[in-house]
Amino acid sequence: MTAWLDEFRQQAAESNEVLSVPSLSDEHWRFTSLRGIDFATYAATVEAVPGEPQGAILAEGEHAGRIVMRDGGVVLDEFSPEVAAQGVVFGSLKRLAEEHSDLVEPVLGTIVGYDEKFAAENGALWTDGLLLHVPAGVKVALPFHASYEIATAGAAQQWRVIISLGEGAEATLVEEHLKGEPGYANGVAELVVAESAHLTYVVVQDRNDASLHFAAHRAEVAKDATLEWAACSTGSKTGKTRMETRLTGEGSTGRLSAVYVVDGKRHLDLDTTQEHDAPNAGSDLAFKGVLLDDARSVWRGVIRVAEGAHGTDAYQENRNLLLSPKARADSIPGLEIDTNDVRCTHGATAGPVDPMLRFYLMTRGIPAVEAERMIVEGFLEDALERIPDERIRTALTTAVMRRIPIF
Amino acid sequence: MPDLVIRNLHANITGTDTEILKGIDLQMSKGEIHAIMGPNGSGKSTLSHVLMGHPGYEVTEGEVLFEGQNLLDLAADERSRAGLFLSFQYPFAVPGVTVANFIRMAVNAHRKGGPDGVDNPVRIPEFRKQILEAMELLHIDKSMASRSLNDGFSGGEKKRFEILQMAMLQPKIAVLDETDSGLDIDALRIVSDGINRLVGPNMGTLIITHYQRILDYVKPDQIHVLMDGRIVRSGGAELAHELETSGYADIAKEVVN
Repeated sequence: MTAWLDEFRQQAAESNEVLSVPSLSDEHWRFTSLRGIDFATYAATVEAVPGEPQGAILAEGEHAGRIVMRDGGVVLDEFSPEVAAQGVVFGSLKRLAEEHSDLVEPVLGTIVGYDEKFAAENGALWTDGLLLHVPAGVKVALPFHASYEIATAGAAQQWRVIISLGEGAEATLVEEHLKGEPGYANGVAELVVAESAHLTYVVVQDRNDASLHFAAHRAEVAKDATLEWAACSTGSKTGKTRMETRLTGEGSTGRLSAVYVVDGKRHLDLDTTQEHDAPNAGSDLAFKGVLLDDARSVWRGVIRVAEGAHGTDAYQENRNLLLSPKARADSIPGLEIDTNDVRCTHGATAGPVDPMLRFYLMTRGIPAVEAERMIVEGFLEDALERIPDERIRTALTTAVMRRIPIF
Repeated sequence: MPDLVIRNLHANITGTDTEILKGIDLQMSKGEIHAIMGPNGSGKSTLSHVLMGHPGYEVTEGEVLFEGQNLLDLAADERSRAGLFLSFQYPFAVPGVTVANFIRMAVNAHRKGGPDGVDNPVRIPEFRKQILEAMELLHIDKSMASRSLNDGFSGGEKKRFEILQMAMLQPKIAVLDETDSGLDIDALRIVSDGINRLVGPNMGTLIITHYQRILDYVKPDQIHVLMDGRIVRSGGAELAHELETSGYADIAKEVVN
């Protein structure tokens, strides 16, 4: 039995009871309205719905392990025996919470708690997801892959992820939120990157255009460790994705790169933190978005430098290309600095394609539409080229470009 | 008929009554080198932009014929594919697009022709050979081919890359807008050598310049002096030296008188 888990769920449920759905008067929700959404209409799903997931862009090829979650449960739970032999643990979180409570209990709820409405709800209600545990010194070359899909229209999917890398360990996890049916997805990912470890974490969010997508991803990065985080968002109707990095150890590095395309009347909300709790750590965030039609994006990013975190080098930028006069992008950068001797910079822009740049390309014989495509692709490339893995970079480029209909 | 015929060309800044070009007449053909000189604000760059179809200017009067075709009816990309080229005074950075990819796209657009043309992309090894040759001609390091075009390039580097594009696109008429500005003497010699190698029976060039310096390297057949939106004098290469000694002010006096 897992009494510790029952207790955690109980506490999260109590918190969920007390907390109300955020409104525009909450600082973090000033630009994202949840009015008119009746969360109760989404049916909680516990069972897995068998079937092949559709539309993944990075599921092909060899993997160290694969998870597919459809509605409430995992339908595919695959893991390479060779990798397992090295002491790596990977698979369904529901299963491993029982079989490996020694690995799950110390992490679950410690990185993302239940003091926020959606995290609390997830803490109480999560049905499955995955655990990836890589012991100290083990480097896994092949990537791990996870797919999440809502298979039944109107279903709620509560997913949860734990990644824990031991000292000097290395791993890559690619997580894809697939189109599936319209529904409500709410998830939590807790990432622990121990001393000198290296985690590559890729999140592709291509949920159904009518789906709600809420997620709280949070990482703690120890001394000299590196988190390489790449995200690509092309789906969902509305929601909020939190991407939080806490640099707890001296000399740690967090690199966050994201590209997104929002069209129609869709709304994308990305909420990031770069928390420097230790000296001489570096964080670098580059988010680039393309907005069409009546779409709207919100990025709120804060760099928080704790007392004593001298030698901090933090950067954040959010640039948006507006391909429609009615599209809108809000960027809210923020700095909270409690120490001297730091370098923190940020930049944010939103605007249409520069007509003079388009003219320049056209003077070389390139037709207007083609010129615009090159400019958009080049604009996104600035963020994409930061992703070291070529296969991932190419897949994400294709995924975003195919969402831009004029091309 | 000459390949490029400009007749009584008037142009305003788009959406305003501010007239910059006040009736330009000029004719030239492939194989010829013409220079337009004039003081700041005389309309030199405007002329180059108007010829290329810059959206910031509107033609209010006159016509431009390119190989008998009405150039002003064409969009900028069509003008390029017809064989007109502009080397920009201030080239734009194209973030995220490498020099090699950019030029290959441009070359392929030319090979395809119009929007209804058939794709006929250049084979990569052939393209590679051509661009490496052209880069060598202009003393550009090979490694630059994989950098984003003009992104973080120095002023002089940007000018070399304009001429590189000219070399690869092989236009019939190339307008070089202040290509010499921002070049040190060695770079000027390299770029001028490049221009001299490229200009020939199949290509003519219209050099727009403030100084006669570049004309010591690229010898013009004809020089035109542009002042206040009009060509006020035309003559042979000797005109450049006359300007150098007496300055534009004397010409201005002459014109007024």
